[in-house]
Amino acid sequence: MFLAWRDLLFAKGRFLLMSMIIALVAFLMTLLSGLASGLIKNNISGLMALDVTNLAFEYNDRPNYRNSMVEREMWEGWRNAEGVVAAEPLGHTMFTARTPEDLPLDDVVLWGVEPGGFLEPDVLLGESLKGPDDGVIISALLANKHGVKLGDVIVLDRVLTKLTVIGITSEQNIGHVPVIYTPIRKWQEATYGPPGGPPPGEVLPDILFDYASVIALQLAPDTDIETVDIAWGTVTMDKQSAYEASSGYKEEVQTVKMIQGFMVVISALVIGAFFTIWTIQRTQEIGLVKALGGSNAYLLRDTMGQALILMILAVGVGTFLAVWLGLSFEQSGKPFMLVKDNIAGSSGLLIVAGLIGSMVSVRLITRIDPIIALGRTR
Amino acid sequence: MGLQVKDVVLELGDGDAQITALDHVSFGVGAGELLAVLGPSGAGKSSLLAVCGGLRHPTSGTVVIGGKPLMAMNDSQLTRLRLQSIGFVFQQSNLISSLTSLDQLLLMVHLAGRRPRKADRDHAMALLNSVDMGHRANRLPDQLSGGERQRIGIARALMTKPSLLLVDEPTSMLDQVRGHQIVALLNEQCHQHQVAAVMVTHDVSMLDAADRSLHIVDGRIQEVAVSATN
Ligand SMILES: Nc1ncnc2c1ncn2[C@@H]1O[C@H](COP(=O)(O)OP(=O)(O)OP(=O)(O)O)[C@@H](O)[C@H]1O
Ligand SMILES: [Mg+2]
Repeated sequence: MFLAWRDLLFAKGRFLLMSMIIALVAFLMTLLSGLASGLIKNNISGLMALDVTNLAFEYNDRPNYRNSMVEREMWEGWRNAEGVVAAEPLGHTMFTARTPEDLPLDDVVLWGVEPGGFLEPDVLLGESLKGPDDGVIISALLANKHGVKLGDVIVLDRVLTKLTVIGITSEQNIGHVPVIYTPIRKWQEATYGPPGGPPPGEVLPDILFDYASVIALQLAPDTDIETVDIAWGTVTMDKQSAYEASSGYKEEVQTVKMIQGFMVVISALVIGAFFTIWTIQRTQEIGLVKALGGSNAYLLRDTMGQALILMILAVGVGTFLAVWLGLSFEQSGKPFMLVKDNIAGSSGLLIVAGLIGSMVSVRLITRIDPIIALGRTR
Repeated sequence: MGLQVKDVVLELGDGDAQITALDHVSFGVGAGELLAVLGPSGAGKSSLLAVCGGLRHPTSGTVVIGGKPLMAMNDSQLTRLRLQSIGFVFQQSNLISSLTSLDQLLLMVHLAGRRPRKADRDHAMALLNSVDMGHRANRLPDQLSGGERQRIGIARALMTKPSLLLVDEPTSMLDQVRGHQIVALLNEQCHQHQVAAVMVTHDVSMLDAADRSLHIVDGRIQEVAVSATN
């Protein structure tokens, strides 16, 4: 590494220029990684927060939350199947909501969950769903954005169901739409019942309360999912795949992944080109070092070490700047989230790409004949 | 000890273009002896150095350095031999541009896979002083004159305490006065360190400083003469 360091210092300008390019790529990679995590969180934080291992949808080639409908016997069947720790119905319906003063709250997804069940979110403020029948827990984002407070009443458009805000939970979304949680019976009433609730003096028929959208499951690792799926006409996904059933999730993740992939490839190529030119420029000196008794191993270690130093410094600076900028994004409520592991992963990938790029010089170096050190041999 | 070259033939190129660069060359150089090799352009002088330095395998014949025959060695063994037993002094500015004079010498320690210790630094400084370059220890090659660079090159060649010094046209880029100083320095150093030295030159006036000289024409040795001063 002796020569590598001296060369780095001697050709500061060139290495600085190269470092700036790499730092810029690392900067963008980190921002992209933050954007990816932010988008994912913005899309499916509600799903991520669920304490489940799997979700069972009504059987469909491409299951999704909107067109899935399950019956009571299905979730009870699941609940009694072997290896099932817990199974609960989950209702999922998209509504537009208003405050009683007719202020729009935009789109919300109403989730019906069993009060006191494992799907209920932790509240930051207020109380859980075990209270009043028409209670609703809303996300902090919704509360802040529209100034909704505990005790306020919100009305679902179309069905005119009234819900009283009893709790605030952290920001939870699905498909980028904020989730609000209500007891499953209230959800069934809003989703399947007549607008405005039952006519005065009447009760809704029991059959209304035998349906939900999906079955939330806590399964033991070795559960025979397929058999239960066939028995009850469901299709069960693990939590990760269930994310993909949320609209836009797959496309967003793929787009960001693709951009990141391109950037990794670009870095490898740029570094490869740089080290190719750098090695060719140094051909005479490399020949000299070989003539003096320097082995290929020594020269390769030196060059790879040089690439590693360059990559680590440049990626470090770029990542640092991006994290610094990213923190302010995070605070401003943009869909941006810095996840340590993801950032470390994308930076590590860049460094590896740089090392792979620098390997093009391996062949160049090993092929240099030390005889070029002797003057006028040719 | 020193260097023994016996019956060396070196054929270069192939087919019609094939030429015999060295044609049954034999000679020896003892420790502390400076041999000058003279000859016209294309005579085979550089080829001879390349064979002696393990940079080219001869077509036939034997080269023995410090008792070790080169024939049986593969490339990496030859590389190690160059590092341990051979000091090269190249034409003009064959210094590494990013290294100071002192570092040019210390590089040899790094090539041997060690970190320089105080003893190595002292040894390097002593060598720099002995070629009158102690005051230039921290200069880069860019900041040195041609003669100064050649002195650093000589000091570097001696850094590993080699048994053989191979010198390629050390004076070609220098004026008469400086050229003579460099050759005198080479002579002094190879006597002082008891190193066998082969110096290739096309300048007849440099012969005075050599112990012996050898003329080579078309790859063949013409005469072996003892230098006039000895
Ligand atoms: N790689 C090679 N392939 C074919 N022929 C070569 C090669 N290198 C040198 N030669 C030929 O070998 C002969 C000896 O070359 P060499 O370089 O040893 O001469 P030299 O005595 O060093 O000449 P100069 O004083 O010009 O440096 C020349 O005729 C040259 O053209
Ligand atoms: Mg020559």
